[in-house]
This record gives sequence, C-alpha cells and structure tokens, in this order.
Amino acid sequence: MGTLTDSWPVAELDSVRRLRVIARSTPGISYAEQVIAAPYDRVWALASDLESQMPMLITDIRSFTVLSAEGEHLEALARSPLGLRARFDIVLRPGWCLMQSRFLLGGMAAVPEGEGTRFAFFGGLRLPGIRLVDFLLGPVKDPLIARALRRFTSQLSP
Amino acid sequence: MTTVPDTGVPGSTGAAELAALVRAAQRGDSLAVQELLDLLTPYIGRLCGPIALQDGPDATQEALIVIFRRLGQLREPAALFGWARVIAVREAVRLARAAGRAVPDPLHDVPARDDPQLAADVRDVLERLSPAHRAVLVLRDLEGLDEHAVSALLGVPEPTVRTRLFRARRNFRKAWER
Repeated sequence: MGTLTDSWPVAELDSVRRLRVIARSTPGISYAEQVIAAPYDRVWALASDLESQMPMLITDIRSFTVLSAEGEHLEALARSPLGLRARFDIVLRPGWCLMQSRFLLGGMAAVPEGEGTRFAFFGGLRLPGIRLVDFLLGPVKDPLIARALRRFTSQLSP
Repeated sequence: MTTVPDTGVPGSTGAAELAALVRAAQRGDSLAVQELLDLLTPYIGRLCGPIALQDGPDATQEALIVIFRRLGQLREPAALFGWARVIAVREAVRLARAAGRAVPDPLHDVPARDDPQLAADVRDVLERLSPAHRAVLVLRDLEGLDEHAVSALLGVPEPTVRTRLFRARRNFRKAWER
C-alpha cells in the first residue's frame, strides 16, 4: 500500500466489550455489568473458580464439576437441586469465560478499571424461537442476573 | 496460510472452516459466535480505528453488535469479511458523526495515495478530515478499493471520493496568495 499501514490507529476491544457484543446480539440473554472496588487479579481468581462460583451464582446449579480441560477449552457437568444434569462446553481465558449447554448460555468478563475492575456477567436460555418471546422474559431473568452479580460482588467486600 | 475469499484478508482459517463456523453461529452456537468474534475483531478494529479515532472502541463494539444481529441474513459465508466491512465502515462514520467532535484545521479533500504528508503523519491527516473522508481514505489505502467501489460502499457520488494532493494544492495556494 502507498502509506505506512503500521502507523494507522487500530481500535482494540477489551473482554467486557466483547461480552457486550455477544450479550446484545443473542436473544434470550440477561446482562449486568458493574465496577467492583477490588483489583482485577482478585476478582478474576474468584470468578474463574467455576466449581465454587457456579453453584453460588446460579441457584439452579447445585454442583458444577470440571470433567476435562484442554488448553482454554473445558468441559463441565452441572447438576440441579432436582438431580438433572447438563453438560457445559466452556472457553476460559484470562478475563473471559463463555459457557453453553444444550439449553443454557452464560458468560463472564473482567478488565482492570482504575484501581478496581469492570466485571460483566450474563446468562440466558438457548431455545428455538426465543427471539419471539425475548421481551416477555426480561422482567423474569433480569432480576436473577442482578442478584447473581450481587452474590458475586459480596464475596469481594473488604 | 490461506486467504479468505472475496476479501483478501489473510488468516489461518480456511474457507470451509469459515463456512462451518458461520453456519454454526447462525444456528445459535455461541461458542462459534465467539470464534467468529475472534476472527472479525482485529479486522473491524483496523477499519473503525482510523474512522472513529478516539471513539474507535465504541464503533468497533457497535459494528460487531450489528454484524452478529444480522448474521442470519448472510447467505454466502465466504462473503463474511466484505459484508462485515460495509457494516463496520457505516457504523464508524455514524458514531463519529454523532460524537460531533470538532475537527482542528480541517482539510476538505482526501489526500492522494502518494501524498507525502499522509506517509509522514497519518494520524494528523485523519484528525483533520471529516468521518466520511476518513472512511474514503481507509477504504482506498487500507482496503485497496478503487474510487468506484468506495463510492458504491459509502453511497456517495464518485466526485466526492475523488482525491487530490492537498498538500501540493495548499502550498500552491499559499504561493499564489503571496
């Protein structure tokens, strides 16, 4: 090219913005985000401990067991209080986690912001036709996600 | 190393693999959406950065949201990058216009490809152009499109896209005014 392409400005997308892209382009999702007054390393160490955090954040999950891990790809088994089981495929990276089962979808992202951390969290249903009833589900699922986020941040209170 | 068809965008993903990924994402597989996001984000960031400048991350985010919301409309997976480019450039221009930042010492023409000032300080040139003119520059110099293609993509007449050696012209004007 005629000009030095290396010197052209490039826009970067951090992991919270990436999670927003998935959350805002996927029907059936409820999303919450906030700045937590705790350093990124502490927040992500807690969030990425999926076996302890998933049952705490999602009341429908009694236990969450990682079955295998290959690089950033994990496979886990979730059990509900009624004994129902669901297998999750997970991608876990620093500041990024996305997981899906046949019927559920979840994600977390974190980036340092000042002395704290911007933390984002979403969950939702993967069902055919969910786009058609998405607006009806908002009032039900939005408070669930907000409560999950509160349960998470309360563990980081000084 | 393979090249994604219709785009000239280099990448390690082959055409068949890309097509499978697009189809899976269209069916609602979010892990496929994430893989496509990994592939598209650097490309969209390179388009939105020079057009939206300080609003580049916002423009990249908004462009990708539109791209993934409309992914179901993409018939031909091989056309992904070209299709996404149209959305990204339009979103970046829209967002940069909406931000309404003042342009210091504005330039009214897009510099020609071989303009020495462009090679010397591309950021300074970009900051003095309107968002639409920045888009012309990006499509022509980064994406290698001709005037006709740029005009069609941006929906502006070809004379608007036509470029000049503005530095030379400005110098000439200065000399003439002396």
